[in-house]
Amino acid sequence: MTDAATTIPQVPPVVDEPVSEVGQLSQGMLIRMRFARNKLAMFGLIGLIVLYILVFTSGFLAPNEFTYQNQDYIFGGPSQFTFIGPNGNFSLRPYMYPMTTELDEVAFKFVFKLDKTQKLPVKFFVKGDTYKIFGFKSKIHLFGVDLPQRLYLFGTDSLGRDMFARTMQGGTVSMTVGLVGVAFSIVLGAVLGTASGYFMGVADDIIQRIIEVISSFPGIPLWAALAAALPPVSQNFTALDRYFLITVVLSFVGWTGLARQLRAKVMAYRSADFCQAAVAAGSSDSRIIFTHMLPNAASHIIVTSALAVPGMILGETALSFLGLGILPPMVSWGALLRDSQQVSVIVQHPWILIPGLAVVITVLLYSFMGDGLRDAVDPYSI
Amino acid sequence: MGSYILRRLGYMAITMVIVTILGYIIIELPPGSYVESEIARLRQMGGNLAPEQIESLYRRYGLDKPAYMRFLIWVSGFVRGDFGQSFQYNMDVSQLIWGRLGLTLVFSILSLIFSWIVAIVVGVYSATHRFTIPDYLITVSQFIGLSVPSFLLALVLMVFAQDVLHMEVAGLFSSAYQNAPWSFTKFLDLLNHMWIPVIVISASGTAWLSRVMRANLLDVLNMQYIQTARAKGLTENVVIWKHAFRNAIHPLIMILGGSLPGIISGETIVSMVLNLPTTGPLYVAALLQKDMYLAGAFLVFLAMALLIGNLGADLLLAWVDPRIRYE
Amino acid sequence: MSDIIGQEKVEQDVVLRIKDLHTYFYTDIGVSRALNGVSFEIPLGKVMGVVGESGCGKSVTALTIMRLLVRSAKIMKGEVSFFRHTKKNDLSTMIEAVDLLKLEAMGPEMRAIRGAELAMIFQEPMTSLNPSYTIGDQISEAIILHQEVDHHEGIQRAITVLDQVGMANPKMIVNRYPHELSGGMRQRAMIAMGLSCHPAVLFADEPTTALDVTTEAQILDLMRDLQTQFGTTIVFITHNLGVVAQMCDFVSVMYLGRIVEQAPVEELFYNSKHPYTSALLNSIPHVGSRTKTRLQSIRGVVPDPYSTIKGCPFHPRCDSFMPGKCDQGMPAQSHVNPTHTVRCFLFSDEVEE
Repeated sequence: MTDAATTIPQVPPVVDEPVSEVGQLSQGMLIRMRFARNKLAMFGLIGLIVLYILVFTSGFLAPNEFTYQNQDYIFGGPSQFTFIGPNGNFSLRPYMYPMTTELDEVAFKFVFKLDKTQKLPVKFFVKGDTYKIFGFKSKIHLFGVDLPQRLYLFGTDSLGRDMFARTMQGGTVSMTVGLVGVAFSIVLGAVLGTASGYFMGVADDIIQRIIEVISSFPGIPLWAALAAALPPVSQNFTALDRYFLITVVLSFVGWTGLARQLRAKVMAYRSADFCQAAVAAGSSDSRIIFTHMLPNAASHIIVTSALAVPGMILGETALSFLGLGILPPMVSWGALLRDSQQVSVIVQHPWILIPGLAVVITVLLYSFMGDGLRDAVDPYSI
Repeated sequence: MGSYILRRLGYMAITMVIVTILGYIIIELPPGSYVESEIARLRQMGGNLAPEQIESLYRRYGLDKPAYMRFLIWVSGFVRGDFGQSFQYNMDVSQLIWGRLGLTLVFSILSLIFSWIVAIVVGVYSATHRFTIPDYLITVSQFIGLSVPSFLLALVLMVFAQDVLHMEVAGLFSSAYQNAPWSFTKFLDLLNHMWIPVIVISASGTAWLSRVMRANLLDVLNMQYIQTARAKGLTENVVIWKHAFRNAIHPLIMILGGSLPGIISGETIVSMVLNLPTTGPLYVAALLQKDMYLAGAFLVFLAMALLIGNLGADLLLAWVDPRIRYE
Repeated sequence: MSDIIGQEKVEQDVVLRIKDLHTYFYTDIGVSRALNGVSFEIPLGKVMGVVGESGCGKSVTALTIMRLLVRSAKIMKGEVSFFRHTKKNDLSTMIEAVDLLKLEAMGPEMRAIRGAELAMIFQEPMTSLNPSYTIGDQISEAIILHQEVDHHEGIQRAITVLDQVGMANPKMIVNRYPHELSGGMRQRAMIAMGLSCHPAVLFADEPTTALDVTTEAQILDLMRDLQTQFGTTIVFITHNLGVVAQMCDFVSVMYLGRIVEQAPVEELFYNSKHPYTSALLNSIPHVGSRTKTRLQSIRGVVPDPYSTIKGCPFHPRCDSFMPGKCDQGMPAQSHVNPTHTVRCFLFSDEVEE
């Protein structure tokens, strides 16, 4: 009788190895764990959260209101501080030297004048300009100096407006345009890409031709043409309306990438065994798409979206820089950079490029996070 | 291979037709027309126009006909090389665009070649020297290259060149050489003005391409045939450049077409910042002024350049990868 | 530099001697001791089979000898001596001993040996050939490199060797790309590439695993013929005991980075001593065995390569486990008879240092 020996005699266990938890975790948890291990990606995620919080509380954070024009301080530089109090001793509280700018008629430049005799204490929770935040008005700013003096962290622009406040305010537009645009792109791209890959045939041909045609146009020229079609800001068409239409314009080109990728994935899934099994079991089309295919593709969609946001932000920045995107009174980082088209202006007042730095930082953070997401979702890619 | 080329040309022709139609529709989108903005401008200056004058303006610019007729008339001129009239400059569109398109192509091609060479060298180096300090530095500069908007980079480089290197870099030539006859020094001046545009236009493309190159090479280096090659006793250099690179380059050539829109886009913006006589400045001005035929011609030609570039990329891929030829 | 020991009669019939080889892989997760004291001799002109389950280290052994390991692998200690047999004019044979571990892996001396004197072919013919170059280019590459001929002559020799491996129409095949050939043809091309420079030793890492049975039979016949014809020593790495029975003269059984038993093929099949070998042999399904019996499998699983097991590595799965002995020390290699060695406390009490 050859029944295989199934009784397992007592045997000392293998030394060293704890039971691995890996086999007991869901895929979602695995992805989150891998992402969390990636320091650069976590840095990107946390940095972005911090930035979003900062820009949406910009009214409170900035010492001045972003539209206030200070005639006494045109193209002024960043405020200068000292830690030596008026009595000559070191103090933890910084003191600001008041500054003004005057127009030098001979050289036709604005000259910066620093008054070192006065030292103004920098206070916290200071009363300043009125602003609106989350629907209600307030006068309290996180830090600043007593009115009528003003604190300018990043200097001022050609109309004497606080660059720090304007950069933060511009962030609310620039950092959300990308998200809204990507949201539109996902909807369009997912619907059309899935339809194209699943139903194939005529629908696929038509959608593919459309994608090809749209992809034949270079990005910025196409965006420029579409943006030029938008009506100017007026009573009937507010800056907010324009903001939404700009995001639509941006996503008009953006959806093609996602559509193509989803189409490829859906076509691959179609012939995969798990979908064949669902078909054989009599599942309806919508069930196969929504229950079987899309959850598998979901992580890919998320990664693609995260990686697409930087492109949208850069696109909006470029459009606004050209004067075709966000228009006043709304501010975005690109619109702020319109002031800096002259090299001479930049050389004399380099702080007006700070919104550009904000763009770079935001895009970098999104890139780190997006890369980390991609690595976490697909561990075999490099 | 011949039939493959013919098929691709056929597809391209069809796409070209649709692109022309779509391009025209897009250009027609802005409400109002050039005539209306002209009238508004005149009114602002205090003048006014009688209805007959307005009508004759419409007729002169051909704006009295319905849209599709204008389109057909415009397109029919293509064969003769007539792309309509520019309203702003009162000239033939073809006179305005050829020179500028040519320069756009020059910059685009130069940037393409530059970005490819740099991307390949950097990508292969960082793939074969992983986890070393130069690799980390390369990764950092790649991230920066992808994050900085092209016009910002152009501005920063311009400031750097003017302040630190004391060079005049705007435009195509320095003021001294603008109208001078051609000479070697004029050529050097031209080169001096070209390096910023080429670097800026290719910056983000290079960053992205070199990462793809690195990833592809790493994938290929894991393949079994690389070990077969080493087992034959070849040097590591031969293994990398003859065996690995040859296969790693395929996906790159496939996306060659994909890097072209970025280059042409970048060229448009950079030329505005650096004041180069290419398509950018003229195109944007035409859009803002609703100078339809001028803008339309630019858009359609840019799209055409892209399509031809893609065709070239496909042909190159078929030549390099023997598996595709037999489709 | 190569160690020339001079003529030694005792090495007359040994082409490779491996002593106490330790190869470890350093990864993020830990250290994997892929080879943990491998010692054996490969007899000249014979077919040596190396058998074991996945992960036991059989491929790593070949890769270590060929110095083809990845950067994360370190050869911690050991000796690999290659005995180069050269026939002289007076029909005597000069034997040079070369310590392969002392050479730089990608240095000129090792590269001269690799491909020309020691060759290796791999498992997947699909992926082992470069899809972008013709068969002729790939075979002649080694020939041109080692035999220093020009391109035309290289192709001619490639055609010759393709003919020798039984490829139909070799003149046409040299201009074909790998994707145009079938699996069997590709493997023949691989074998041709391996034998093109008439190496002394050919390492074959599971060359027929990816082929269907009929093609496998043909390839095995071919290898046997070529081995007789050229006198090449073949090291045949496989997990398939049936193939071993058919092809090999000697067999080494590996488990978890160590050789647990080594014997001539018939001796191994009819007189195996190590419990692991016996278990392996018992797990082969037999044609004609009684119906409704369960397949015998070795209980337990192959342990995690990153773990360390005290004592004999097989003891957690061994039916003859002796507590207090098998879990304390590693058994030393002992001789059952002059050609048959085994590492097991059932046959010797000697513990390895």
